[in-house]
Amino acid sequence: MIQKKICLLGASSVGKTSLVKQFVEGIFSEKYLTTIGVKIDKKTLSIANEQVNLLLWDMEGNDSYNVFQEKYLRGAAGYIIVVDQTRASSLLEGIDIHTLARQVTDCPAILAINKSDLLATWHLDDSEYEAYQDLFALHFLTSAKTGNNVEQMFSSLAELLLKREKNDLTT
Amino acid sequence: MTSLLNTALNALEQVVLEVTDAKSCTVKLLEGGSTWASDLFPQSSDQQAFTINEDIPFLLDFLIDAKTIWQQQENAKLHSGLWTEITSNNKELHLEAIAIKHQQRNILVISNQLENFKIQQKTKQLAREVLLSYDRLFLKNEYLHTRLLSILNQPTDQSNVLATLAKVIENAEFAVLIASKDFTTSIENSAALSLFKQDDLLRSQSARPIDILITLMKNQLPEYQRILATGSSWDGELCWILPPSTLKWLKIGFYPVKSKNNQVESWIIFANDISTIKHLTQRNELLAMQDMLTELPNRFAFWQTLEEHIASKQAFYLLYIDINDFRRHNEFYGHHEGDKLLIELSKRIRRVIKAVDFIARVGGDEFAIILSGIDNKKACELAIKRIIENINKPFQTKELELFAIKVSIGVANYPNDAESVEELMKFVDLSAYNGKKNKKNSVQFYSKSMKDASHDLIKIEQELRQAIANNEFELYLQPIIDVKTNCINKAEALIRWNHPENGLISPDQFIPIAEKSGLIIALGQWVISRSCQIAKAINQLGYNVKISMNLSPSQVTDVNLFSHLRSCIKDNQLNPGLLELEVTEGVLVDDYAVAEKLLSKVRMIGMSVSVDDFGTGYSSLAYLKKLPLDYLKIDRSFIKEIVTDDNDKAIVRAVIAMAHNLNLCVTAEGVETKEQLTFLINNSCNSVQGYMLSRPIKLEHFIKLLNEQKTIN
Repeated sequence: MIQKKICLLGASSVGKTSLVKQFVEGIFSEKYLTTIGVKIDKKTLSIANEQVNLLLWDMEGNDSYNVFQEKYLRGAAGYIIVVDQTRASSLLEGIDIHTLARQVTDCPAILAINKSDLLATWHLDDSEYEAYQDLFALHFLTSAKTGNNVEQMFSSLAELLLKREKNDLTT
Repeated sequence: MTSLLNTALNALEQVVLEVTDAKSCTVKLLEGGSTWASDLFPQSSDQQAFTINEDIPFLLDFLIDAKTIWQQQENAKLHSGLWTEITSNNKELHLEAIAIKHQQRNILVISNQLENFKIQQKTKQLAREVLLSYDRLFLKNEYLHTRLLSILNQPTDQSNVLATLAKVIENAEFAVLIASKDFTTSIENSAALSLFKQDDLLRSQSARPIDILITLMKNQLPEYQRILATGSSWDGELCWILPPSTLKWLKIGFYPVKSKNNQVESWIIFANDISTIKHLTQRNELLAMQDMLTELPNRFAFWQTLEEHIASKQAFYLLYIDINDFRRHNEFYGHHEGDKLLIELSKRIRRVIKAVDFIARVGGDEFAIILSGIDNKKACELAIKRIIENINKPFQTKELELFAIKVSIGVANYPNDAESVEELMKFVDLSAYNGKKNKKNSVQFYSKSMKDASHDLIKIEQELRQAIANNEFELYLQPIIDVKTNCINKAEALIRWNHPENGLISPDQFIPIAEKSGLIIALGQWVISRSCQIAKAINQLGYNVKISMNLSPSQVTDVNLFSHLRSCIKDNQLNPGLLELEVTEGVLVDDYAVAEKLLSKVRMIGMSVSVDDFGTGYSSLAYLKKLPLDYLKIDRSFIKEIVTDDNDKAIVRAVIAMAHNLNLCVTAEGVETKEQLTFLINNSCNSVQGYMLSRPIKLEHFIKLLNEQKTIN
């Protein structure tokens, strides 16, 4: 079975743990419980008759209490930058983390704009959207609460990684 | 002994493993063995060596780093950081691994960190919840402010604007007022009416919310007149007391809405009732007169002390210290770091003033100091020098990043400059404000000439405003020659002002004023649109010539710059590859984050970026590596003596070599002689610009030059 390490990165309280919980267990809790350190969950997906085991590294959010540690990205096949659409600052923090991550890996990165069930306080304008399109392999507007786009995001990432692996093998 | 050790390790919730083969991650349990350890390593129970495998991916990953410790000869230790592991029997463990090399033995300690985890979670949970709620409050204000500004800046003939506006405002959870320049309310929401509700039984007529607010500001803010005169924004706290029963603490946001010409058209005012928060903090008597964050006396305590000093009739100096670009600092490092800076700064100032002097925090990033017993300017300057020397020492973020701040200090003397609290505060505020746009530390003593100078400035500003409206500006082009082809491949666009009475005015005379007054944004937008038209016109004549535009610091931070640029490109159906932006080193260093974002965007659409006046400013190589750049323009001061001065020769050679290593091209500015040109050509400079080749010329002359070049070739 193919195994892929995926890291969830972003500012604190953007919903990284909730996205993993929704994806792995299909549940959501309204109560915010901050993550400390790292927690790894696993889920196996079946993609085009292939079994892909995703190792989801859910990391403590980055803020003044916890700085980004690039060492955790070692061996990652992809990473997801999670931002909160109710807090514009989380996008800037997410982009900063992405910039730091890019210094150690060039694996595919996904932008997850989370909390889509809540009223957005910021939107990407056309020019920003264009600018960010080049930074990320895929974008998703997700809601860990309703489950909107959660499964789809992880599956698309798995598909992308599988495709890359096949391309690598053939070239 | 072993049993005692085991007991101790179990009590410490640790297990010790000896690494028997680092390469294959094989370990053997040495000591310790509680239930959690057996849950984690079920294979360890029979005291046999076992391999750490993918069942514990975090640990397996940590062992990669651990191996570097184990392979070395010296004693060393490495911590993995906390992680949460779910064991095969579904137990949740909070662990940390420690790799140890000690006396040639390779040890791995696994520590159950449940207690530490709980403490960390409790502390961080609380801290993050506070951060989150603070963020939300801040954002709600910011968001609404931005939205209102964007709606108000739309053309007024859009019929749905008012309806949208009313809806946005009515839904706000705090008081929102929009008033004209002369404070006639055009919109106020229900929250405003209920916040400023008065006991009607006792009053024949209730005052409007706007009137209450303006009265409070007039009475409690000495800078009130300056805010109105300069169209500045203000935020801070006001106290509304209306006997017998009203006492409310209000957090106010007071923002101007300006026209394109930077004139105030209306005001947006936000008011939040923060009485409950104040009440909580004021439970401690001291806090009523004390700033919670810095523990310095607050604005109200300061006001009282200042009155006492005036009453004593003893001469003193009043200082008003304002941190330059504090808002940007907050945006860049976060509010937590901003608070840390205020605390550190207050400590530093307190350390260097005398015990008889008095310091207070009178605003967000403003401090006021009364220097007692000083009656001459020289002594005051010495005291200020001590303060600045202390402020100049680098500050440090929590992540140990060093940074520097600059301050503007306004100074006024009692009784020579003013004799009342209000006048004194007004004067120091004006003095600090005058130095504020200066990016360096500035000290401004109040003087009559300062007042006169600000009048002159207002006059030129007025003329500039008119000049924008009357289209009195013109772009001149200075050719840039590609050394390889010996052809013009670029031109720098340089603005000139055709003043109706004073003739042609060079940018040195009006750009600083435009910068200071904020008109630079409107002027910069004109330059961009005109440059696009020129680039298009030249291109339509069959020439592939890039137009390079200078960006001022304010333009770099203007949020609308990129969209304006894009719309000009679109309107002119222009290939963005025919445009270039020039920014100075100072801008890149001061506004690194903003500049980086903007430059990445412009390069993404195909424009190029050059660094102007290279070598004269900070010359930080760090940003050259990090920023998205294409060209370096070596400043004319290095080119001037290049033929005779060996130092200049060496500098220019080094810059060219360094730039080429970083894949940047080099343009030399101020080339005036053949010898200079020869030197530059011989040293692989990519392009040249200067009077020897051509002065800045009008568009028609530039086209003529291109035509001549074509004929020759």
